[in-house]
Amino acid sequence: MPIFVPRDKAIMRLLRPIIAMGICLSMALGASAQALDSSDSSEYLIKAGFIYNFAKLVGWPQGAFAQPDSPIVIGILGTDPFGGIIDRVLADKQIDARHFVIKRLKWGMDLKGCDILFIGSSEAVHLEEVLHALKGLPVLTIGETPGFARRGCIINLIVEDNKVRFEVNLDAAKQADLNISSRLLALARIIPQSAADVR
Amino acid sequence: MNLQNLSIKGKLMLITMLTSSAALVLSSASFLIYDLISFRHLLTLDLMTQAQIIGYNSAAAMAFRDEAAATATLSALTAKEDIVAAVLYSPDGTIFAHYFPNGAGHPSTLPGRSQENGYRFEGGYLEVFRDVTLNGERVGTLFLQSDQRQWSVRARRYSAIVGIFVLISGLFALLVSSQLQRLISRPILHLENAMRMVSTNKNYEVRATRFYSDEIGRLIDGFNTMLSEIQHRDTALQRANDELKTRTGELEGEITHRKRTQEELLKAKHAAEDASRAKSAFLANMSHELRTPLNAIIGYSEMLEEETRDSGKLENQQDLRKIQSAGKHLLSLINDVLDLSKIEAGKMGLHLETFDVSLMVEEMVTTLQPAIAKNTNNVRVRLPDDVSMMRADATKVRQILFNLMSNACKFTDHGTISLDVSQSAMEGQEWIRFRVKDTGIGISAKQQGKLFQEFSQADATISRKYGGTGLGLAISHRFVQMMKGRIGVESQPGQGSTFTVYLPAQVTLDTAEAAQSEGAGAAAAGSSQHKPELDTILVIDDDPAVRDLMSRFLTKLGFRAVAAASAEEGLRLAREVSPLVITLDVIMPECDGWTVLRKLKSDPHLAQIPVIMVTVVDNQPMGFDLGASNYLIKPVDRDRLAVLIEKYRLARSSSASEAKVYSRPAASREERRPIEAEVSRRT
Repeated sequence: MPIFVPRDKAIMRLLRPIIAMGICLSMALGASAQALDSSDSSEYLIKAGFIYNFAKLVGWPQGAFAQPDSPIVIGILGTDPFGGIIDRVLADKQIDARHFVIKRLKWGMDLKGCDILFIGSSEAVHLEEVLHALKGLPVLTIGETPGFARRGCIINLIVEDNKVRFEVNLDAAKQADLNISSRLLALARIIPQSAADVR
Repeated sequence: MNLQNLSIKGKLMLITMLTSSAALVLSSASFLIYDLISFRHLLTLDLMTQAQIIGYNSAAAMAFRDEAAATATLSALTAKEDIVAAVLYSPDGTIFAHYFPNGAGHPSTLPGRSQENGYRFEGGYLEVFRDVTLNGERVGTLFLQSDQRQWSVRARRYSAIVGIFVLISGLFALLVSSQLQRLISRPILHLENAMRMVSTNKNYEVRATRFYSDEIGRLIDGFNTMLSEIQHRDTALQRANDELKTRTGELEGEITHRKRTQEELLKAKHAAEDASRAKSAFLANMSHELRTPLNAIIGYSEMLEEETRDSGKLENQQDLRKIQSAGKHLLSLINDVLDLSKIEAGKMGLHLETFDVSLMVEEMVTTLQPAIAKNTNNVRVRLPDDVSMMRADATKVRQILFNLMSNACKFTDHGTISLDVSQSAMEGQEWIRFRVKDTGIGISAKQQGKLFQEFSQADATISRKYGGTGLGLAISHRFVQMMKGRIGVESQPGQGSTFTVYLPAQVTLDTAEAAQSEGAGAAAAGSSQHKPELDTILVIDDDPAVRDLMSRFLTKLGFRAVAAASAEEGLRLAREVSPLVITLDVIMPECDGWTVLRKLKSDPHLAQIPVIMVTVVDNQPMGFDLGASNYLIKPVDRDRLAVLIEKYRLARSSSASEAKVYSRPAASREERRPIEAEVSRRT
């Protein structure tokens, strides 16, 4: 893994996104990080790492998992932007005793078995229905489409200045009975629930 | 300044100050060190806690790659002034976020990479590394660097406080010790003062005051005891001194007294010596005065006896003999007394010569015949051939033997007297022993003790019965002693006596003086057989009796006697008659015999004539020195004179070399007196 030692502030500024991506990747992959597929997939590499970190900083209510070692099920609804990246990123990871299980889901399929649901941009039209379907269930919904958080998605990933950031809808989280760590919230942009969506 | 010469006060204060300051500084320092160490530990813990908090707070930011959030978290350290650097490293070791309060970028001490958890002190900085974890997973490393400003500020402040404290407490200690040291120094100073008073003023009545009952108190007690002891002794010494002075005074008085006494004694001694000299002079005069009439008595009685014998008047002859005998006895007594007085005065010397013992014994026995015959004793002489020559004072040896023999004859009646002479070696020396044994009355043991003392006959009654002065043995004893011999007696009353004399065969002198002439063996003592020719003999004497007697005697011997009454006449006659021999008296009016002798010997014509001194003056050496050939003491033993003159006549007629014959050594032997204890007149 190449290490860039910045010599100049200009160069530094130029290289920063790349460095950031590299760091993120390494974080996600840990010591056994594998080589990146391509530079296009680096955004999703980061996002996959984010999802893993979200899992760490979100507390599921009691009874959300049948067993202490029951896997955390991640559902990817709609068009899969990750390709195989997320599988590789999470392959060896575990939180406490829980491994990750990744499911590819289509609109109309049962979403209740998921603990985390990634709602792709393709499902923007169905968002309310999806969210409605999950209402009251401890499922962490994650989107990557602008406005999703306002519409009721608990976390929405956004890209600003070539950096991946995220929004959090605390009300949605409260409804889903999920406890989001203050540390996570400190980094997040808190999005209030839109009045129209309040149910 | 030399610390050892500091006063006690100074020393005490110094000790107190140093001790307390040292203790204070040490304890403060240990406290300070302890405090600083624990404070550093605290700081370290604090920093580590800080790191933990920062790490916790930045974990999510790191996990979500939020640099801004991480930097913001680090910026919270602004409140901590001592933090000079805070850096977050990515797991791969690159710097993720940093914070430098002074804003001047990377300090040079910033480590390039993250390191293991823990803290270290590096270059004056405290550095902490801490893993940043999210849910147990390491997401980065936090590095905090503290400049320990707090610590050094604290250390500085503490040191200042300690310094001030030490200073203040030192001042306090000074104050306290300057007061407390008096506890010790005051009695010592007081003691010193007392001692000075004692040593400078010699005032032993001073006493030091005792303050406390500590060691110094005891010291002061001891000092006081010592002082009183000294005072006591001083008084005693003073008393002894006074006493000594008194005694010395007494002693001086005594000494003065003794000195006076000594002077008196000395005076007395001088007086005694003067008296003794006077006595000696008196004795000498007396002897002269006594001998001069005796000379006449004996001489004329002899002449008369011969004449009466020739004329056959036997009754007168008997009386004359008695007169003659009494005179001779008187002469012997005078001679004994004079001898003894000379011995006493130390004026008796030895005249050594070599002589034939047998001849001497024979001669002595011959002269003893009248005494032997008197008590009808029988004399036996045993004299072996091996005893021949002896070197001693022949006159004294003869006198010793004569005394012993005549004593033996005197105290033995109808008995046997034996003389036994022998020679033997003893103590590495040849000795001649004379043993005289009689069968007489003997001597008791008690009497034997006093035998050789002067004027002590064995018994006072003896002198009445047997006569004698009691001086014979004493004189013999002295003579034997002078010749380094021994004399002893064995006797029992009624059994006879045995006197034994040991004399060295070769008597030596202690001093070089004394011996002058040596007899050249035995001169013939017997009378010669030649026919007398009328040789002239010049008699120089101022005493007409002497001139008369000598002339008659010489005429009888067959000489022509020419008499001169004075020195001038003598000298004139000597030139006129050219005598064979001159007899010369010393004491004469106008010109004495010495002058005459000198004149005779200085005249070439007269120098060869032998001069026989015939005088009462006892100064033989003087006579020999001036050239006299012989020296006879008056009263003259006429037999001796006859022998001498006969010898000169014989020598003149038989030998051509007169000078040899007349030489003094050859003649000296002739001065012995045959019967009466003649003493060599020698001083």
